[in-house]
Amino acid sequence: MERNRLMLQIECTYFFEENPFALETKESLATRLGRSANELEPILSNLVALSVLTKFGEGEDTVYRYNQPIMINEKLEV
Amino acid sequence: MIRCILFNSGINILYLFIIQKSMNKCYDIRNYEVLGVIAMNHITSTGIKGIDSVLYGGFPKGSSIIVEGSPGTGKTTLGVQFLYYGAVELNEPGIYITFEEFPQQIYQEMLAFGWDLRKLERQNLLRVISIKPDVLYKQMKTLDGLFEQIIKEINCRRIVVDSISLFQYLYTNPIEIRETLYNLRNIFRKHSLTALLLSEQSRFNGEQSFEHYIFDGVIHLALKEYMYNYRKRTLEITKMRGCKFIEGEHIYRITDRGIHLVPALTMVEDVVISSQDQLSTGIKTLDKLLSGGIPRGTSFMLDTNSKANFKYLVGAIIASRLLEGDRMIVISSNVNTVLEQQRILALYGVNLEEVGKRKGIFFLEHYQRHIPSAFKDLTFDVKDLDNNQYQNFLNDTLAPMVYEGLKNGESWFIYYDLNTIFSQRGAEFVKQIFTRETAWARASGITLFTLCNFAEVGSEISSFLERTTNTVIRTWVDSIYQYLQVTKSTNGRISEPYIVETISDKPYIQLV
Repeated sequence: MERNRLMLQIECTYFFEENPFALETKESLATRLGRSANELEPILSNLVALSVLTKFGEGEDTVYRYNQPIMINEKLEV
Repeated sequence: MIRCILFNSGINILYLFIIQKSMNKCYDIRNYEVLGVIAMNHITSTGIKGIDSVLYGGFPKGSSIIVEGSPGTGKTTLGVQFLYYGAVELNEPGIYITFEEFPQQIYQEMLAFGWDLRKLERQNLLRVISIKPDVLYKQMKTLDGLFEQIIKEINCRRIVVDSISLFQYLYTNPIEIRETLYNLRNIFRKHSLTALLLSEQSRFNGEQSFEHYIFDGVIHLALKEYMYNYRKRTLEITKMRGCKFIEGEHIYRITDRGIHLVPALTMVEDVVISSQDQLSTGIKTLDKLLSGGIPRGTSFMLDTNSKANFKYLVGAIIASRLLEGDRMIVISSNVNTVLEQQRILALYGVNLEEVGKRKGIFFLEHYQRHIPSAFKDLTFDVKDLDNNQYQNFLNDTLAPMVYEGLKNGESWFIYYDLNTIFSQRGAEFVKQIFTRETAWARASGITLFTLCNFAEVGSEISSFLERTTNTVIRTWVDSIYQYLQVTKSTNGRISEPYIVETISDKPYIQLV
């Protein structure tokens, strides 16, 4: 069970890492990942708690946005 | 200090006013000349040179434009190219909103054109956002919602929404869809965003969807069959509020640097070796179409059908040459007598008798008709000459006279009704001598103006004549309007068809 949660967490993080400006609700993310929205709910809450994501709004309309880690090499490039 | 205020009236006419504070005056500047000066500040490059040419500069800033087309027509590429160019070349940051595609996929696909979108995102010049249409719509309407936050984050100036067709799945009621799209347009306008709304719907078969009414512009992309085995990509602009554009279909290609569009009616430039000073036609718009006029020492042809009234067109051209002091040879048609020419030219301020007194004009007469006494000495009677004799007359009498004048620094102009030569001397004769005559005229720096009815002489001869002539101007009557189009010119441009309108003042016609 714990392993499944971890796998989903990685899947979500990877999605946002590859699509850093995606603005997703629980439902829309579930559609993009091909997962169940109910399964994703605790995962997204956890990622918000870890400051990987920021959430906007409440309830069904909650939108999740990625907090991009700032890489030193990217800062230098900019 | 000059400030510009832009607003839209209830009848959708764009009014642009300059308020010159120091003078406390208000000027309506809807005419193009004045608008042209100011409009440059209100236009932003599309990122595609050919489309900029078609739009005379680019999109009006802050406008919302639909780009519609079936799958594979390059809507996404056009949208991203618009954003990429804006970000890199104009420092106008942009947002690409995708409802279905993953941004990751767009990043990868656009690398094929050399566009590194992730890099632009790191420079805060771009955002590729995936979001569901209903969520976007809610966020757009929320004060300081995510949409407004992102716009502020990057000082966004451009936006692409891919695609607005998905809004139709949000609502079943067309009124709600219309209201949503109307809201979108207003929100983009409020934030002064230049927006491209991609649309998958292809409802172009004469049917206008309501989006076409709501948004400021409509661009249609299509993939069409071409020469049986090929496909051609065409772009057509059917609407662009506040902006003039070249109508019709323009072919584009998707190259390794993105979309490349070749505006229609553009041909490879014809190099004119002889003198480049331009001769005015006496008609302002026509001079503009010809980049200043007819280059001296070239040949140009007016192709006219029997219904078209060309007497003012010919009158304006001939009068402007005579007023400039050119010496002229006229080979008239059976309907165009010397007296008729005298009457028309008088309207343009030319006193033909005075011109005749200084030997400024000569006529070649192919018909048995009355010649006014003032012009008898200026008229060569060639009606009884057979083709050989006529050719000898040209070589032995006319050519030396012209050469003599050219040696003395005179400019010569020949107005030549080719229909007369066809009817009096036959098509074979024309084919034999026309190339020689035009070559002689061009080599001598003489400007040759011929009149012909291409439809009457047939396609083979007309294509031969077209090939031999530097500039071809066509005028014809189509139902209730007369049109004029430059179909060949030394500057390589083919014009769009203009309506010929009769006016009460000189030059008595204008091109609209």
